Amino acid sequence: MIDRVLRHFVAIVAVCGMAGYIWLFSRPAADAPIRSDGYNYYLYAPAWLIYHDLSLQALSEDWYGGTAFPKFAGMVRSEDTDRWMNRHPIGVAVLMLPFVIVADLLTRWSNLPRDGFSFYYQHAAALAGLAYFLIGLAILRRTLSRSFSAQTTLWTLVAMTFGTNLFHYAVYDGTFSHVFSFASICALVEIADRWWTRPARWHAVALGLVAGLIVLVRHTNGIVLLLVPAWGVSRWPEVRRRIDELWQRRRAVLAIAAVAAAVVAPQLALYQWVTGHWLVNPYAVHGLGFTFGSPHVWGALFSTERGLFFWSPVLLFAVAGLFVARGWARHVLGPSVVVLVLNAWIIASWMEWQYGASYGHRAFIDTFGILALFLAAFFAWASARPRLVPYVAVATGLAIALSVAQMIQYWLRIWPTRDITWDRYRALFLTFR
Amino acid sequence: MSRLRVAAGVAAVLLVAAYLHDPPWAGRITSGLLDWEDDASGTIYRWTLGRASFFVPGDATAMTLPMRAVFPGPNGAPVTVRVSVDGRWLADVTLDHPDEWVRPVLPLPAKSTGRRFRRVDLHVSRTAVGDDILGVQTGQIALDRAP
Repeated sequence: MIDRVLRHFVAIVAVCGMAGYIWLFSRPAADAPIRSDGYNYYLYAPAWLIYHDLSLQALSEDWYGGTAFPKFAGMVRSEDTDRWMNRHPIGVAVLMLPFVIVADLLTRWSNLPRDGFSFYYQHAAALAGLAYFLIGLAILRRTLSRSFSAQTTLWTLVAMTFGTNLFHYAVYDGTFSHVFSFASICALVEIADRWWTRPARWHAVALGLVAGLIVLVRHTNGIVLLLVPAWGVSRWPEVRRRIDELWQRRRAVLAIAAVAAAVVAPQLALYQWVTGHWLVNPYAVHGLGFTFGSPHVWGALFSTERGLFFWSPVLLFAVAGLFVARGWARHVLGPSVVVLVLNAWIIASWMEWQYGASYGHRAFIDTFGILALFLAAFFAWASARPRLVPYVAVATGLAIALSVAQMIQYWLRIWPTRDITWDRYRALFLTFR
Repeated sequence: MSRLRVAAGVAAVLLVAAYLHDPPWAGRITSGLLDWEDDASGTIYRWTLGRASFFVPGDATAMTLPMRAVFPGPNGAPVTVRVSVDGRWLADVTLDHPDEWVRPVLPLPAKSTGRRFRRVDLHVSRTAVGDDILGVQTGQIALDRAP
């Protein structure tokens, strides 16, 4: 039974996702799927495909008179070149492109307006997010299934999907970058694991491609690339051996670097063309940056406003998993902890540490594919202790139920989109009207 | 995969394609139009952005398209709205006075396709940039239908 459910888990989630999607976007006064940050991520796709213009100017002229973009998009012109500077990189648009091309063909076929934002484009962009989430989930299932029982893998997938804000960002905010990052980081973990255990020629190219896409989608996620050289290094004495191994595989390492560089190169070229600089902080003009010396650790992890563990308490088991991990999970613990801690530090150091309007803390979603390994490690540890199992099962079930209920509250617009105080949280707890 | 399955797949694709060539819901599709509002006099209108699209029934022979600029063009110049039907130019409508509703009656050319609906595209010569980016106000469209 469990094997069957696990085999069909991605399909089951796809059906749930489509049902949620149809409900969300067919209700009266529904939001457009392409909105907020999703607008900025998507913007390149119609500019390339329909307006044949890298500068975004043609799109601006057609839609907004050429002198502006919608205020929420925060588009500014570079002082050096007078070209439009989009604060979000091109990676999401690149990954969306196959979907947008299909939308464009359908638009022509159905005689809808070929403007980049009409019916098919809206849904293609959002369903691209749902599709990449499902791809990420399928890859994660594959990774977990190699080292954990079917039961542990299934529990982990259910908890990650419905016990966190991952499902929400696949269904409601699919045009944001997070599920694209989730999928590509799941792929990186899977390929890195295979490359170090049973290397094949295609692994180097695939690793380079995925590494490049990770950076292209969200630059700060570049830190997860540390996983590739450090995968399986769990103690200091192994570092020396790993350096030797990397030297032995230097041709593959060069191939990874070359492919990754080729994938990232268009973004750097775009920065250079738009601003005159190869490396840019597009947020600088908005007065945003990092405060690494004073990170909002409490706020990002535990607060009612956005705390990762406050809104997705099942992930506390993943933290416990870091301490009780055995076998393969123990083997990959070291680099994973380094990446997770660095990632949390970067997220908490962002001046806008709440990451704008969102459900739960969305910035952590990108690395859920790494956290899931240790959630599975915790479930595996607990399943070996029969007296613990009922408690863990009940706690996990409650955490998932709470997360789903709170997600539905967000969908019903019960929760304020930011700055939720404890008093506000208590007043709105499990209210649905 | 059996031949039967391939044939069923091809047939399904062709059926979906035939359906989407002239979807019955196209008449409800709009793009580049904000929500309906009403002004102090009770006139119902929607703002366009710099461009907007909507559909009219395929058997319409003419449409009256109320438009009001509200904001003048650069240096007080009139605002022009280019109207196209199914991608072909139909008319340029000039809105000389920002506060005045203009109600041009636009004859729709004979249909070149057998679709249920015809796409009308508006391109506005200027936008007013504030909290929102606005083109012109469009009112409720009146249609002349074929007898």
